[in-house]
Amino acid sequence: MSETTDRGVAPAMDFHPQPQAGRPRPWAFPQPERATLSNGLTLLHCHRPGQQVIAVEVQLTAPLEAEPAGLDGVATIMARALSEGTAKHDAEQFAAELERCGATLDAGADHAGVRVSLEVPVSRLPQALELLADALRTPAFTEAEVERTVANRLDEIPHELANPARRAAIALSDALYPAGARISRPRQGTEETVARIDAGAVRAFYDAHVRPSTATVVAVGDFTGLDPEALIAEALGGWQGTAAESYALTPITADDSGRVVIVDRPGAVQTQLLLGRIGADRHDAVWGAQVLGIYCLGGTLTSRLDRVLREEKGYTYGVRAYSHVLRSAQDGSGAALLGIAGSVATEVTGAALTDLWQVLRTLAAEGLTEEERDFAVQNLVGVAPLRFETAAAVAGTLADQVEQELPDDFQGNLYARLVETGTVEATAAVVNAFPVDRLVTVLVGDAEKIGEEVRALGIGEVTVVTG
Amino acid sequence: MGHTATPPPTTGGLTATEHRLSNGLRVVLSEDHQTPVAAVCLWYDVGSRHEVKGRTGLAHLFEHLMFQGSAQVPGNGHFELVQGAGGSLNGTTSFERTNYFETMPAHQLELALWLEADRMGSLLVSLDEESLENQRDVVKNERRQRYDNVPYGTAFEKLTAMVFPDGHPYHHTPIGSMADLDAASLEDARTFFRTYYAPNNAVLSVVGDIDPEQTLAWIEKYFGSIPSHDGKQAPRDGSLPDVIGEELRQPLREEVPSPALTAAYRLPHDGTRELDAADVALTILGGGESSRLYNRLVRRDRLAVTAGFGLLRLAGAPSLAWLDVKTSGDAQIADIELAVDEELAAFAEHGPTAEELERAQAQLEREWLDRLATVAGRADELCRYAVLFGDPQLALTAVSRVLDIGSEEVRAVAAARLRPDNRAVLVYEPTEPSADDADAAAQEGAEQ
Repeated sequence: MSETTDRGVAPAMDFHPQPQAGRPRPWAFPQPERATLSNGLTLLHCHRPGQQVIAVEVQLTAPLEAEPAGLDGVATIMARALSEGTAKHDAEQFAAELERCGATLDAGADHAGVRVSLEVPVSRLPQALELLADALRTPAFTEAEVERTVANRLDEIPHELANPARRAAIALSDALYPAGARISRPRQGTEETVARIDAGAVRAFYDAHVRPSTATVVAVGDFTGLDPEALIAEALGGWQGTAAESYALTPITADDSGRVVIVDRPGAVQTQLLLGRIGADRHDAVWGAQVLGIYCLGGTLTSRLDRVLREEKGYTYGVRAYSHVLRSAQDGSGAALLGIAGSVATEVTGAALTDLWQVLRTLAAEGLTEEERDFAVQNLVGVAPLRFETAAAVAGTLADQVEQELPDDFQGNLYARLVETGTVEATAAVVNAFPVDRLVTVLVGDAEKIGEEVRALGIGEVTVVTG
Repeated sequence: MGHTATPPPTTGGLTATEHRLSNGLRVVLSEDHQTPVAAVCLWYDVGSRHEVKGRTGLAHLFEHLMFQGSAQVPGNGHFELVQGAGGSLNGTTSFERTNYFETMPAHQLELALWLEADRMGSLLVSLDEESLENQRDVVKNERRQRYDNVPYGTAFEKLTAMVFPDGHPYHHTPIGSMADLDAASLEDARTFFRTYYAPNNAVLSVVGDIDPEQTLAWIEKYFGSIPSHDGKQAPRDGSLPDVIGEELRQPLREEVPSPALTAAYRLPHDGTRELDAADVALTILGGGESSRLYNRLVRRDRLAVTAGFGLLRLAGAPSLAWLDVKTSGDAQIADIELAVDEELAAFAEHGPTAEELERAQAQLEREWLDRLATVAGRADELCRYAVLFGDPQLALTAVSRVLDIGSEEVRAVAAARLRPDNRAVLVYEPTEPSADDADAAAQEGAEQ
């Protein structure tokens, strides 16, 4: 056995039949406890035994649409500048104090609002909460630090434009949404708008949108021996501000008439694909069926798209279909971006798109199979305990639910709904999500090499823009 | 010295038991019933360092073939069965090892063990020309997507080739070259499997909501009859002098958005106290937004948009410190290099302040807690210490070793290693944009 170098193809092991699953052990999506502090701040907290790194998400109702005209990016700069100095610490000291806690603090702005995320070992939670509270209550927004934050953001833009996936996303937003709508323009602003942002603009945005009544704090982790509500109240209970106003957000609309935008990258060895339109969000009854159907189309490498494009043809490292909530609200003003994304070798771009459209046509003509539906349900429901193992994953989902005006048990109920969703419903949802003649296609690649074959596909008028 | 976030249990609550099957398969089990999930992790002691000239990328290409079916698992069955059971899975290839992992709902653990055993014992039954051709194309597209079609994407490959001289087992990176990927044959893949995919060349860890006795019985049942094999040759010696002896430098003119300075320094091998000291030094110098390089280059001198150090731990060759600085505005690389060298020289002379040491150790401790936050993270660490250092128990005390490092050790390793005559440097300068491009860029913003 040990000296043989001619282990043949024939295996020498004993084979056993595929084992059957044991008895499932109960798991449920964690339910948070809710509280409202006397200053109007909403608190959700959730005990997760064993999770020594506590995740704290602060959701602020400050949508990008609330940015003043011509100042796209001010929400982003404000979010970043929260940690660039407070009443107590200058920017360098603040960063040092955070790191002394072993903490990380990230902040960013998206269409639905501003999010501040803290992660810290539980033993240093009180000190880190105090720093988080300082950032929210008493940001310094000095001229010098805001100017530096703006300059840093301006430096980032060329790097993002050079990234094919990001460049594709910008081109798709520009093509899809009405001219003039905030959502058609880059989330973090353009060089032109960011350059206009100063400390006054940041302070004004903060004054208008950041106060306890617009804030929800979600804290998740192992709170053994601790009272999370008391800890948050200690840090943020003294924060004062006026009551929140309600926003009437513009309903998201899009022109999804089939057409193609090629972002020209001479010499690119791959073409970045991004096909998209908008569709149902989490407030729509079809959401669960849509999640299921889209998983069957492009959720993993054994889904329909990769079964052909990757595992049969080898055109790509992977193509995924997804639904990404842009905004979701009770009044129905929201929408999800429904997308198909991946990159393919330049010389097979036309062939890959032909196959991709054929996958969509076959899906519309023949529908999903029972097996595909069952597989998707088993995966999407079965992975929940894995997906929500960490405090950060739970906190992120709870904060998303708050941001999207969904009940705290939404995710838990979604799993129950998926189990009840049939093949016919899932088929209808995914076919409605990706109709072959209503897709805007962005290709970041070598226009000279791919342009002709893309025009020949008949998937819409082709426009070429410079890279 | 920093105070610790979790003072008494220096193991972070981890426990592990070790077992060995008669065919040489090493097994590490760790029980934790807090969530009904179980992680299976299998490390094969083979990586790109075992590859030979003309066949770079073979270990990674082979990792893809491990998902293409075995005797009882047709086609993509491995993926389908795991995902259909509510599990997640993948595999990765590095210089020093290839790992495969499944995280399962706890009641599906047996399935993952059965699947791993099936391909360890019988992959060659299913391996054919068709799956090789297909996965060759997939891997070439992986290379294009992750390296060739990305600005600065080949920096890692270039610097590695400079730090580790021609002929050194780490001279090439796991992704391999396009020409070698094209040259790999079915017979190469078969030989590779026969040489390296044997139970006595692997460590299996299972972590989570498990019954250790039952788990061990399943492992014996499914893996126990797979024959061992001793045909493996040790990888070529990866040891090198502590310092390169001169600065190696390569100027590049590429289509990149801004000038950049990237560099790699030779460091001590993983598993040594000196490398833990280097980890602390790199964290202080370039590990976050209160690091010396960030404060100097991004905040004060405003020469850079990003600046920092990373660490690539290697056990069979010098580890690498990784410097990455992208310029701000019209900043010049020469000014950045001057500032970097000043900071490194000052640190080598005076070492860290007590506050810096405390901050760095707090950061490294949190990173460790993050890795331990999932059963998959724990399973991977246990395999790592078992395969690379022969003892999975070392995983339990890794964080306490980092917290034990003192400031003089940190200074000393920086002085010895983070010096100009011990680095390979790439200087990127963008190709000149045409006037049209500049206008177009000025009108576009950016987002993800």
